[in-house]
Amino acid sequence: MAVVTAVIATIAPTGGRAPAIWCGVVATVMVALVSAEAARRGRAVAALRAEYATREAALLQDLRRQEAATIRLAEQHLPAAVARLQEGEFAEDVLLSVSAQDEALSPQSQAAHQALLRSVVEAVQAEESMRDSAQRGVVNIARRVQAIVHQQATDLRAMEDRHGQEPAFFADLLRLDHGTALIGRLADSIAVLGGARPGRQWSKAVPLYSVLRGAMSRILDYQRVELHTVAEVAVVGTAVEPLIHALAELLDNASRYSPPKTRVHLTAVEVHMGIAIEVEDGGVGLSEEARSRAEGMLKEARAGIDLNDLGESPRLGLAVVGRLAQAYDFKVALPPSVYGGVRAVLTVPKSLLTTAPATGRAHGIGASSGPRPADRPAAAQGAPSREATEAFAPRTASPSPDAYRNAGAAVDTHEAVDTDGSAPVRADDRTGEETPAEAERTASGLPQRRRRRPATGPAARTAPRPGPAETAHEEPAPGVWMAELQSGLSADKPRAAPPRANSDTSDKGE
Amino acid sequence: MSTSDRDWDEGGPERLYVITGGRADSTEQADLDLVTLIVSREEPKAGIQPELAAILRVCRSPVSVAEISAHLTLPTSVISVLLADLLADGRVEARTPASSRPDIALIEAVIDGLQNL
Repeated sequence: MAVVTAVIATIAPTGGRAPAIWCGVVATVMVALVSAEAARRGRAVAALRAEYATREAALLQDLRRQEAATIRLAEQHLPAAVARLQEGEFAEDVLLSVSAQDEALSPQSQAAHQALLRSVVEAVQAEESMRDSAQRGVVNIARRVQAIVHQQATDLRAMEDRHGQEPAFFADLLRLDHGTALIGRLADSIAVLGGARPGRQWSKAVPLYSVLRGAMSRILDYQRVELHTVAEVAVVGTAVEPLIHALAELLDNASRYSPPKTRVHLTAVEVHMGIAIEVEDGGVGLSEEARSRAEGMLKEARAGIDLNDLGESPRLGLAVVGRLAQAYDFKVALPPSVYGGVRAVLTVPKSLLTTAPATGRAHGIGASSGPRPADRPAAAQGAPSREATEAFAPRTASPSPDAYRNAGAAVDTHEAVDTDGSAPVRADDRTGEETPAEAERTASGLPQRRRRRPATGPAARTAPRPGPAETAHEEPAPGVWMAELQSGLSADKPRAAPPRANSDTSDKGE
Repeated sequence: MSTSDRDWDEGGPERLYVITGGRADSTEQADLDLVTLIVSREEPKAGIQPELAAILRVCRSPVSVAEISAHLTLPTSVISVLLADLLADGRVEARTPASSRPDIALIEAVIDGLQNL
């Protein structure tokens, strides 16, 4: 514009030059102003645009944060809260610890999230407590059944002892006993599924052999179970009942799902981890699919069983085994069987085993399944008769109160039930004993006579007891001392006093 | 003795029918009564049922069925089932003491005689 003005100024006539120049100048200034303004506006627009861009970015970021928070709520917080509730935490605790994490959100959405969380937690809580109370109810009933069954089993055993000489009675009692054991197992299963311990507790270690036969006792077809080699170990008291129950369920499965004529094989061998107990049947076996399904069932059961999931025809067995395995660290596997049947291997970890000679002498079974060396001093069979033999010696040899006192430590079983005059003295001297050994008591707490006592007790007290030394160190020889006792009674003159009597009283000091 | 009694109070996990394999009566076939004396003919082998091993140990010298029953704290019927197994295998021998079977006719005659006095 300035150039145009200059050209006009040069070519225009002199008279019109000044206005033209003015016009040109004005126009130039106007154009300059306009363009300056345009540039300014352009800059402002750019600034605004940038500002909007940043604002949009911020909004988008907010949106993304909210979206992330929602996803986090749905994918992490809610499942975590539900899981913790299911583990038994209180709803308030769960809410507090879960909600404190979303700082980035606006207060409203935070509140909304909180409300959502709260309602979900409350719903879950309500369902959990309902299920809990259902489970407790089930366990409670199972416990009552268990108590009755246990009482029944004890009574039956007493009856079996009482009517042991009448085979017809005895056979019936055995059948009843078996039926009771089956009921007991069912009650145990229900208790386990309700999340409780199975049945009774054992205070002492029990030999594995007894445990395996205990498991056999609880299934219908126990006659088909063939017990093979059994490692000579004992199971610690706490694990006895769970192990018996788990094995009973495995045996039950094995005998139930195999042809009725076939045998079920039960073996227990020592392995590196502890003891592997194998249950193998001669049935048709499982297809690979069925096998993996069963193993899946075991795994599921480890995670916890819902009583509601058991369905119409519950297959309790594997669920119970899985649950027990999880609680007591057993390993259960269903490896393919060589014989085509189903094989289940339950491994008991070393921590649940003890090699100590088993204390359970019930039925004279003793510590091991195999024979015991005859010269082992504390052999279960040897101990009773030897003690009994020694017990009588001091009385006849030196009937002074001292002798009674010395003997008292060893023979308090007999003296606790003695009714003659010296009983109180001896009873006083028994203070050091851990438990008075008159363990045979009736239900009413009264001491009960031992079976053998009526024959031996009075006779031994009055008659000289000939030569206990010969039998004292032998193992049981129960007939020998009886025979000697009789010959001693019938002899005109008692034989020489027992040679071991003096040493007996001296080495048996308190 | 005291320890074994306490164990017995607690009881073992196995029931009697498992020990006998479900059988309850073999008295007739084995011809055993309470006073039949049993003596073992061999030492228990490894791996046999613990009760059988216990019987073989107890019967190293002749013992009556009733005494075995008391020693193992098992009812007589269980013992006679187990003994029937052992007898069948020839692992124990049974002897019925002659003196335990008095002549009933003689006793009756004596009673009659006494009453006639």
